[in-house]
Amino acid sequence: MSMATMNTLTQIFRLVFDDDSLQITPDTTANDVDGWDSLSHVNLITTVEAKFTIRFTQKELLRQRNVGDLIADIERKISA
Amino acid sequence: MTFNSVSYFLFLPAVYLVHLLVPDRWRWLVLLLASYGFYASLKAPYLPAVLLAVTALSYACGLRIASQTDEADRRRWFWSGTIACVAILALLKYLPFLEAQATGFLGLGSALSFTIVSVGVSYFTFQAISYLADIYLEIEEPERHFGRFALYLAFFPKLLQGPIERAGDLLPQLREPFRFDSAAMRAGLLLFARGLFKKVMVADRLAPYADQVYNNAHDYTGLAVMIGTYAYALQIYFDFSGYTDMARGTGRLFGINLTENFNRPYGATSIADFWRRWHISFSRWILDYIFKPLQMAWRNRGQAGTAAALVVTFLVSGIWHGATWGFVIWGLLHGIYLAASTYYRPYQKKAHKWLGIEKSRLLRWWQVFVTFNLVSFAWVFFRAKSLDTACTLVAHLVRGSSADTLRRLLLLSGRDELVVLLLSAGVLTLYERGGLGERLPAYPAYARYVFYWFIVLGILLYGKLFSNSLFLYQAF
Repeated sequence: MSMATMNTLTQIFRLVFDDDSLQITPDTTANDVDGWDSLSHVNLITTVEAKFTIRFTQKELLRQRNVGDLIADIERKISA
Repeated sequence: MTFNSVSYFLFLPAVYLVHLLVPDRWRWLVLLLASYGFYASLKAPYLPAVLLAVTALSYACGLRIASQTDEADRRRWFWSGTIACVAILALLKYLPFLEAQATGFLGLGSALSFTIVSVGVSYFTFQAISYLADIYLEIEEPERHFGRFALYLAFFPKLLQGPIERAGDLLPQLREPFRFDSAAMRAGLLLFARGLFKKVMVADRLAPYADQVYNNAHDYTGLAVMIGTYAYALQIYFDFSGYTDMARGTGRLFGINLTENFNRPYGATSIADFWRRWHISFSRWILDYIFKPLQMAWRNRGQAGTAAALVVTFLVSGIWHGATWGFVIWGLLHGIYLAASTYYRPYQKKAHKWLGIEKSRLLRWWQVFVTFNLVSFAWVFFRAKSLDTACTLVAHLVRGSSADTLRRLLLLSGRDELVVLLLSAGVLTLYERGGLGERLPAYPAYARYVFYWFIVLGILLYGKLFSNSLFLYQAF
């Protein structure tokens, strides 16, 4: 996992969840972040897709369980 | 046979004893045979055959999906299995109904046979679809032992009415060797007794109030309609959560923990909260397999995409309950409630914060009150036999009702019955809401036994036992 991806992703999380001190790790799940519900999840995904200019497949989106899964999918897509 | 029938009270101990006596490697077979026997007792001989067909089909498709390396092939097998399951469900559930409507024989008789012919099918087909989806998404490995997989779909405590179990929750438990555990046995029996208490002491006593109002819609207005509807809201909760307690209690006896289906749903502070607490195994299913894929597919439409996904999801949920306008409107209402809340919720939160009442107890009570009434309003369409009846009742809501009508409605089954009902509901509320259930194991033995005897004697003396009253959700 590259630091650059992690940093960009942290910025996106802070923007989407409106919290400048938010810290994320690969183990972070929706339960750990205040306000991470199905509604804000869509914002998160569309923002990630726009920032990294990628497009997740349905299967990738339904499989993601934590931030680590999200990072793995992002990195596989940008390196492809 | 239903959980509150005499035959179940003979069947369960017999199965338990055989299960206890056979060696571990044959226990799955005992439970599987018992489950098919249980299903066959419904006297619809094709039902076990349908169960076997869905089992064979999803077993084979599951193995196929996992063995393919090409994504397109995996997807093809997933969709073949899913469409076949949906087709079987639709055929059994809606065809007799459509046929009855087309031939003009629509009446109580056809509606009844329609509910009996498909009992259980919607639960095990939903479970089969979730199994295929989880293998396709590579969340789960397929089960290779056919007998154990068959038991995963057929396990009799959850066969007729759920909970709908995810592969990851139930299959690993079926692989574990059985160990006798007196604490689990006691917890299971207590859960079973609590469920029976809910059904025969409360739900079956609430039914006459709802039936009276809903069968004579033209005679009731205003508060009387509300009493009938609240009675139904509570009846369906005590009936369904009572069934689930009995299912989970039975499961515990065999060392199996089934999913909790209810978490004090009428204490919910919003409709979204309600669906996190009501029929949890079903709402998790529709959220994971219908809502999320739709929401993600429509993600570029922003909030409107999410709102549309909610409406469609709950519309499907309505149709799953039955092919009538009442269920469709019930589903649509919940979809609309939820879709609307995605728009106003952020403003509502800001307003509460600005007023400084976000932590106020009064606000919480208000929200519980509003949510309960929104849910009850939707129940009108769910309960009414026809759209006509539902519309009559809704139109009558705004009218007044005489004190005499109200008194006669409340004393419908006599004063004693009303007292037993209120007392039983009060004890259950103390048990669930007051935390008596969690504290009970720590109490001294005499206090526990007073409570146990209260439940057992209550059921024996006042329970509407062996009345062959069906559980409401068997119809779906």
